[in-house]
Amino acid sequence: MTTTTALTDTTDDIAARIPPKSRQLWRTLVGISALLLFTIATTIPAIGGINIDLASIVHNWHNGYSKMLQMLQPNFDFLPRTWRPMVETLQMALVGAAASAVVSISLTLWAAKPTNPDGLTRSIVRTMINVIRAVPDLVYATVLVAMVGVGALPGVLTLFLFNIGIVVKLVSEAIDSADHSYMEAGRAAGGTQTQINRSTALAQTWPLFANQWLYTLELNVRISAILGIVGAGGIGRLLDERRAFYAYSDVSIIILEILVVVIAIELLSNFIRKRLV
Amino acid sequence: MTSVLSTAERSEQDTAGTQVPKQPSKHWTTAFAFAAGLVILIATGTLQISWSDLPAVPGQVWHYLQLMFASPDWSRLPRALFEMWRSISMAWIGAILCVLVSIPLGMLAALGVGPRWLRIPLRMIFAVIRAFPEVIIAIILLTVTGLTPFTGALALAISGVGQQSKWVYETIESLPKGTTEAVRAAGGNVAEVTRWALWPAAAPSLISFALYRFEINIRTSAVLGLIGAGGVGSMLANYTNYREWPTVGMLLIVVVVVTMLIDAVSGAIRRRIMEGGRARAVATNV
Repeated sequence: MTTTTALTDTTDDIAARIPPKSRQLWRTLVGISALLLFTIATTIPAIGGINIDLASIVHNWHNGYSKMLQMLQPNFDFLPRTWRPMVETLQMALVGAAASAVVSISLTLWAAKPTNPDGLTRSIVRTMINVIRAVPDLVYATVLVAMVGVGALPGVLTLFLFNIGIVVKLVSEAIDSADHSYMEAGRAAGGTQTQINRSTALAQTWPLFANQWLYTLELNVRISAILGIVGAGGIGRLLDERRAFYAYSDVSIIILEILVVVIAIELLSNFIRKRLV
Repeated sequence: MTSVLSTAERSEQDTAGTQVPKQPSKHWTTAFAFAAGLVILIATGTLQISWSDLPAVPGQVWHYLQLMFASPDWSRLPRALFEMWRSISMAWIGAILCVLVSIPLGMLAALGVGPRWLRIPLRMIFAVIRAFPEVIIAIILLTVTGLTPFTGALALAISGVGQQSKWVYETIESLPKGTTEAVRAAGGNVAEVTRWALWPAAAPSLISFALYRFEINIRTSAVLGLIGAGGVGSMLANYTNYREWPTVGMLLIVVVVVTMLIDAVSGAIRRRIMEGGRARAVATNV
């Protein structure tokens, strides 16, 4: 008897504690139909949607079959010609990451609230970073190639801009969300904001920075491998050239090489990260 | 007696008493920093860039920025919006296909759901797809299927599966085990556990990740346009080749504004979903 009352008590208790489930059917319906409408709108070619045309894929498939066969037979004799562009790719990645690392420190401290209490400059830096991040990497490369000419320079500039966006956003958000009792100490000792930042915040966030710099280096190797497609130097240019000549066995050896290098850099960066952080 | 101790003995005693640990050796850190610096310097020095031109670059870039943004050419805005919608469509269809494939596959790859002989090969496939840069996957795929926006969407879907499935199985594996055990204790099999324990708890995160995939795809679809898949990227590449800077400026403004808008809307929806998810998790914990 007592157990049953206890049981009903607890179920009542639970029923009281669970917030009423919003069973608003129309809300669900509106949500689902909005989703469906959006999806349908993306498949109407007349307004710019995409034409879902499976027949042409089937048609092209016969075409692509022989290309695929060629790709499955990588031409290892081509490998020596890829060394120099591959080294250039790695150089671009490293120089871009290093340059952005230097610039990112002060920009990050500017963009985080604890290290920059001034709302105006903070929002200016943040808006700038958000705009920089909204432009995809290859779009930078395309425009910069047209501006400063074909070669490694537009590649390095692209990686520099791209990396600044990532490092400043991620590290400044990490600074924002962390607890900053140590900065109180600096303030209590009468330090100016710059002095506090230099002696406490920077020392505290150094591992975060190191982590993100390594991460940008990893990303850079992937990106710089394809930047050449729009003319920004490195192995991508060779890849695009061989593709234009329909030399698919050369293309596949380049892709294999990129894959090996990307994985190798990732392993190396993981090793350094474990040592560093 | 203690006062007659020699200074050497006293300092020895002090160190023993206060237990100051020895400063860790910094030789390796210094050596590493030097090595890294040296590699960076060599890489910078041997890169095929005429560094003497570098001081002129900011001026050049400023000149072009003025050409692009001083008076953007808005006459082609309708065409730009049309192409932007095409890029958005590519991103959306790509995201839907990617999510539809990666949720079942990712669940099968999760510990405790799929059998071991399926889990390990699936995870290896995901890892291989993740290692490829997206554009490379697109290039391989587009040589086979032809350059259309639809194949662009397919390329987005396939290149996203690696990362998306990883998110799925990591989400599933990080769920609290209580509900799974409850369903299993009530006699549920793997399918029932998935339906009644895993799916309700994981759904908010999975939907949130799906929207995040859409945000990523918006950027990548512009990139696929550059290599010829259509959309705003193709338009941008064309007008850059023609050097019609005012139009390029207008296109860049469109890309940036639309991307930031979609990020903002999608981010707001994701926060709403995750907060709803948190409220539900609290309710089930009671």
